Amino acid sequence: MNLFLQSKVPNFWAQPFNSQGIWMGVLGGLLVGILIFLGLMFMPAQFRRPVVAFCTFIGGAYWVLLYIFPAPIDLQKTEMPTGPVESIGKWLTDANPVVVSISGTVTAFMLGLGIFSLLSIHLKRISRRQKDWAYSVILLVSLVSMAFFGYADYISRQGPDGTKLDLQANWGFVNYGRDLLFDGLLQQMDAAMFSVIAFYILSAAYRAFRIRSIEATILLSTALLVILSLMGAVAFVWNDAVKNMANGNDFLMNFQLTEIAGWIRRTFETSSLRGIAFGVGIGALAMGLRIWLSLERTGGGA
Amino acid sequence: MNGQKSLGEVLQSLPKQVLYIILIVFTSVPLFFPVKVPNQPLESSVDLYASLMAVKPGETVLFASDWTNSTRGESLGQFNSVMRILMRHNVNVVLYSTGDAQAPRVAQDAIAKLNEERIAAGQKEYKRWENFVSVGFFSNGEATINGMGTSVRSSFNGKKDFAPGRGLTDVYESPILKGREKVSDFPLLIVVTGSKTSNITVERLSGKVPIAFAVTGVMGPETGNFYQSQQIVGFASGLKGLYDLEGLMEDGVNNPDKSGNIAVKSSKYGPIPGFPGEKNDGQGKRYYPTLHFAVGLLILAVIIGNIGMFLSRAGGRK
Amino acid sequence: MYPLFTYDGIKVTCGVLATVGLYSVLYRENKFYRFFEHLFLGLAAGWTLLTIWVENLKGPWWDIMVGVPPEKAGDPIGNGNWAYILLLPLGLMGYMVFSKKHNWMSRIPIGIILGLWSGQQIQIWYNTYGKQIAGTAQPIWPTTWSSLTVPNYDKLQLAPDALAAAKSQVYLSQAITNFLFLVTVVCVLSYFLFSFDAKSKMVKSASSLGRYLLMIGFGAIFGSTVLMRFTLLIDRMYFIWIEWFNNIILNRH
Repeated sequence: MNLFLQSKVPNFWAQPFNSQGIWMGVLGGLLVGILIFLGLMFMPAQFRRPVVAFCTFIGGAYWVLLYIFPAPIDLQKTEMPTGPVESIGKWLTDANPVVVSISGTVTAFMLGLGIFSLLSIHLKRISRRQKDWAYSVILLVSLVSMAFFGYADYISRQGPDGTKLDLQANWGFVNYGRDLLFDGLLQQMDAAMFSVIAFYILSAAYRAFRIRSIEATILLSTALLVILSLMGAVAFVWNDAVKNMANGNDFLMNFQLTEIAGWIRRTFETSSLRGIAFGVGIGALAMGLRIWLSLERTGGGA
Repeated sequence: MNGQKSLGEVLQSLPKQVLYIILIVFTSVPLFFPVKVPNQPLESSVDLYASLMAVKPGETVLFASDWTNSTRGESLGQFNSVMRILMRHNVNVVLYSTGDAQAPRVAQDAIAKLNEERIAAGQKEYKRWENFVSVGFFSNGEATINGMGTSVRSSFNGKKDFAPGRGLTDVYESPILKGREKVSDFPLLIVVTGSKTSNITVERLSGKVPIAFAVTGVMGPETGNFYQSQQIVGFASGLKGLYDLEGLMEDGVNNPDKSGNIAVKSSKYGPIPGFPGEKNDGQGKRYYPTLHFAVGLLILAVIIGNIGMFLSRAGGRK
Repeated sequence: MYPLFTYDGIKVTCGVLATVGLYSVLYRENKFYRFFEHLFLGLAAGWTLLTIWVENLKGPWWDIMVGVPPEKAGDPIGNGNWAYILLLPLGLMGYMVFSKKHNWMSRIPIGIILGLWSGQQIQIWYNTYGKQIAGTAQPIWPTTWSSLTVPNYDKLQLAPDALAAAKSQVYLSQAITNFLFLVTVVCVLSYFLFSFDAKSKMVKSASSLGRYLLMIGFGAIFGSTVLMRFTLLIDRMYFIWIEWFNNIILNRH
């Protein structure tokens, strides 16, 4: 049993590539989609919340069912499931690629929303000649250039010899264009943006890191210990001094910097982070349930 | 008020631009004087190296490359080291990304540079399709990784890569993915990440496949939690983890050198060879000594700030 | 050829200019910075736009919907599943967020994504925390008093069976460590769970102890964060001084 969306044999749902059937199906589906869209637009306000709650519930129900429902044991591809339990279990397993595809596609459309918003803001700024509109032109030109060279690079690799373009020696104009914009500019600016924080950290540590309370002292001491233990040269000097003093005494060897830091890490650091993780985990589970069942007003409610 | 600042106040009021210039000096000058820093690798780094070396030649591993150049300082070096080990060990790689839309291209560019290095050294090219495939970016990482727990093939549904002589082809037609439907069909899942995709992976796939990580320093403590509860087999954290890995590639584990000395000992493993004489040094060796100076500056800044505070307080009480 | 005039020289020089441009904000906001800021945003958005289509819609949606042509004569024709077209109006509902009247419709695709996330939380909970809970509840009473601390096994030179037996024991130092681990987890957790005004004195003490212990975790995170951020800066300095200035401008390798 295959899910209807995965059938290899042509049927109502699955039609051969470039056939009349597939294009009729796509057109018909689009029409149905538009009707649903319009129907939702003009739907009475009291039905909005139940519709959103239903969609949210269906989204979550698949993973919950997949988790709690017994999966068929060692069922081969050629075998038919026996009984309703095994059939439902197999159906749920078969639905996996469809659910993953739907998740990815819907999320991709949502990602496009950010770009759409960015475009509308900057196009508006240019058309109205608002303050700093020239920067918006730079943004749009760079956006279009990146998309153009990126797509041209992608297309250039599609031919039978596309894999040869993995080596720079075989590149053409569009490949150099993509590399200059992506690796030469975007990636270097990405690195620069994230490294700027180092300056602020130093400045903040100098101005604000004061030993004023027990909490601040504990925090500062742990941070210092972690930092020093991860500095090979410091650890080497400390450990060497302890080794010379210990003179073979196993107990004293525990006072090597790496041993002390390791013990603190295993005993207090991991446990405190685990405590935080348990707290977050309980919160996430509760939030998950509330969103799934639309009990969270800020989640799926309309 | 006589308008003059006390010593305590002076110590607390260095202009930020002065601090920034000092930081630039401290992070630049040592780069021109590379030195070898003594190092004792962390147990987690040794476990990562051992788990990479335990993969048999010809096997295929899953490799989540979830970093971009925003964490280039740590992640690029980690990626290069892990890939160098896998390439030399003839292990095939299935690359995928859930962290960032730029990540697949960054990983492929890094592999291209490693390939140029291999070709220059007279080694075999690590070829797309035969040795690695790039499955690409997944916009909904949580659902994709969760789906991999049921079937990797279904999560990679519709994904294509460039096959020689064929153009864009379904990744599952690559010989390196043949017969590998479930995540348990892979001997190892490696995640090199600059974000929290390591957590998402553990939450959904731990117990189903051995997992190893290379994470940024920020994620180190959190990842240590997974390591201590044995949800992952090993990990390298930040620049220290990278420096460990580069050292292990040179020395191996329980592996005597020509004079019989063992640089890295571990009671967990038998002898694991390194790759002495090959290009093992990278960002770790280049940046680690300089990090000592930057950290020294930070500690100095905190000490000066606190001395300033105490002096001001003492002055105020007089 | 002088490296500055090669493709790699031009590429690295562009990268250095962009890096310095973004760093100029450290002095104060200026036109040079704003130029590169907008360039950065535009390039990043352009790449995301490309990836949305190439990686997430072309193969996993469009090709599944319309099918794929046979690679060569005789190969089976790939079927298309036209019902996937329904994802288009569903995805476009998200764009109704800009409509004043119908913005509620954007909550349908968002609801589906949130639903998928929430369903997974229920599924993954035990997988995430089960082993950690078991790892937290370790023996807090020693099983042997033959040694107060874990012995140096290398020195003992025991037979494999005896070595395994020795390693399976819980020594006093381990029991203390396990106890401290358990106490830390419980106290930190109680700080989170009983953040309201608890009446029990024991809960209050555990919570305040939890606050101190929490600082150890935060200290570790801070320490690691500092190391990471400095590494990223060192990487930029290496790019500017070694990869550009030394290798390209001075032409030294």
